[in-house]
Amino acid sequence: MLTLLRDIRRLRREIALPRPDRIGSLAIRHVDAGSCNGCEHELTLTSGPHVDLARFGLGIVASPRHADVLLVTGAVTTRMREALLAAYNAMPEPRRVAALGDCALGCGVLGSREELAGAVEEILPVDLRIPGCPPTPAAIAEALLMLIDSRPA
Amino acid sequence: MSAYREHVADALASGWRFAGLHATPAHVRTLLAAEDGTTRIVTVPIEDGTVPTIVDLAPAGWDEREAADLYGVRFAGHEPLRPLLDHDAPLDRWTVPVHGHDPYQVAVGPIHAGVIESGHFRFHVVGDRILYVDARLFYKHRGLERAAEGSTLEQGLAFAARACAACAVANGVAYAHACEDALGLEPTDELARARTILLELERVWSHLNDISAVCSGTGLAAGSTRFAALTERARRLNATLTGHRFLFGTIRVAGSALVLDADQVRLARAELASLREEAAVGLRQLLFNASFQDRLPDIGIVTTADAERLGATGPAARASGLALDVRATSPRLAYDTFEPAVLARAAGDVQARVEQRGIELVQSFDVLEVLLGRPLVAADATRSGTESELGVGRVESARGATSCVVERRGDKLERLRLRTGSYANWPVVAHAAIDGLLPDFPLINKSFELCYACVDR
Repeated sequence: MLTLLRDIRRLRREIALPRPDRIGSLAIRHVDAGSCNGCEHELTLTSGPHVDLARFGLGIVASPRHADVLLVTGAVTTRMREALLAAYNAMPEPRRVAALGDCALGCGVLGSREELAGAVEEILPVDLRIPGCPPTPAAIAEALLMLIDSRPA
Repeated sequence: MSAYREHVADALASGWRFAGLHATPAHVRTLLAAEDGTTRIVTVPIEDGTVPTIVDLAPAGWDEREAADLYGVRFAGHEPLRPLLDHDAPLDRWTVPVHGHDPYQVAVGPIHAGVIESGHFRFHVVGDRILYVDARLFYKHRGLERAAEGSTLEQGLAFAARACAACAVANGVAYAHACEDALGLEPTDELARARTILLELERVWSHLNDISAVCSGTGLAAGSTRFAALTERARRLNATLTGHRFLFGTIRVAGSALVLDADQVRLARAELASLREEAAVGLRQLLFNASFQDRLPDIGIVTTADAERLGATGPAARASGLALDVRATSPRLAYDTFEPAVLARAAGDVQARVEQRGIELVQSFDVLEVLLGRPLVAADATRSGTESELGVGRVESARGATSCVVERRGDKLERLRLRTGSYANWPVVAHAAIDGLLPDFPLINKSFELCYACVDR
């Protein structure tokens, strides 16, 4: 166990991310609305040792009721539309919506028209767009950190 | 017995295995694979909207339910034929009735508590004891196969490869093989080597990720972090070699543009050797972590007989003692003398599935070390056989045998079917959870670490 921890210390915080101007925290609720799982795999690594988003006060929370940010991945399928809206409606104000990845932004989406409900911004008000297919963990982290700086005072 | 059922039953009795079933507007086609890797398709016309079921002969339950929902086929003898993709069906139509002393249902999903793909599970429990699980997936159904119809064979690749980031190479190669099978083409040795390198690079990051996931499932942050770090390094290596962390865009039909010069293969070998060493150290340290090891044995058990009956595949099947691996019989790829890795203790539980990933990582590093022994140049396919309207490709992904069937008219896709290792294994996960405790399900689930994206398509 101690060896594991020692090794991890060596790996930590190797990516130089800009320090937010202000100190704060964000609770993030992720919803997969129909992704290829690429954005999820990269999002998972933002909690890994290289990026370690927790050091900036950013964490993934289990319930939309605890969340400041709804982070949506994937082309929104007709089957996920209702669940996505339910998660958004469960969030307290102030709340933000971030669209993660090109599919969520409606770029180059593959699929049958009748199975797709449209890009995230056709369904919810989007505050932050994170392009990429998929965006790297560092790019995801950098974009989310901008939300801390742009919070209302 | 109908001629179709007889045909399937005879094949299964003489060592063939079920590898998928799909419908077209006029037919139902069953894919069978022999021990030596050859495949064959048994076609039966749909008459009065009906085809005889083979669900009592082969693990075709999900395939038939999918064909029923998407093409309106009735399978005579498949009773009750529960909806799989049809989410409008009422609860009692798609769940299995569970009787007993006070059983109740726990509904979970489609949205889960972490960074997890969307899908719904309905647990039938008494207290914490799971009696049965109904998995309702397909929340992420994007209609990829239908959208691919009418595109050229080249364009169709994206619908298979991009179905799933974790299996992008495996799905892409299965699709490319299917097209080349239909076009009467065979990969050159160099093309086979390029694809095998890519398949194993995908398996390396995937297995590292899966071990990290099991550590998360037990709450061992140190192990999870350690293997997350290795996953990150493996993906960076992918990006260095191919320009993409998930190897997107590296697979083509009838060719490969991937070029690795002497410096790149040297760098790749060095990084892979380092990853191999660190993964071995990490696994060894996990062995000495008693609280971690205590969580793994004797939960989520899949016996050899159940693995066979349910059609389990990939590491999950091998951890249950089934020595099946498409890599051992892949003449279109560069797996010379490859043999399936089987554990001494193939107990089919969470521990076995974790250990299986460990020994398979070693195999992948071995294969890569040989294949990256010299630079890689662009390559193509050569004419080898006759053209046909149907083509089949089978590839071993990190989650098991992935089959792709392509039906074409000229250069246009008429039907695409992608049946991934995850698709085959979801019914096995549901079975493995039975008799377990509800709080153990996340760990059992992570020990399979299946995709939803390439199941839902």
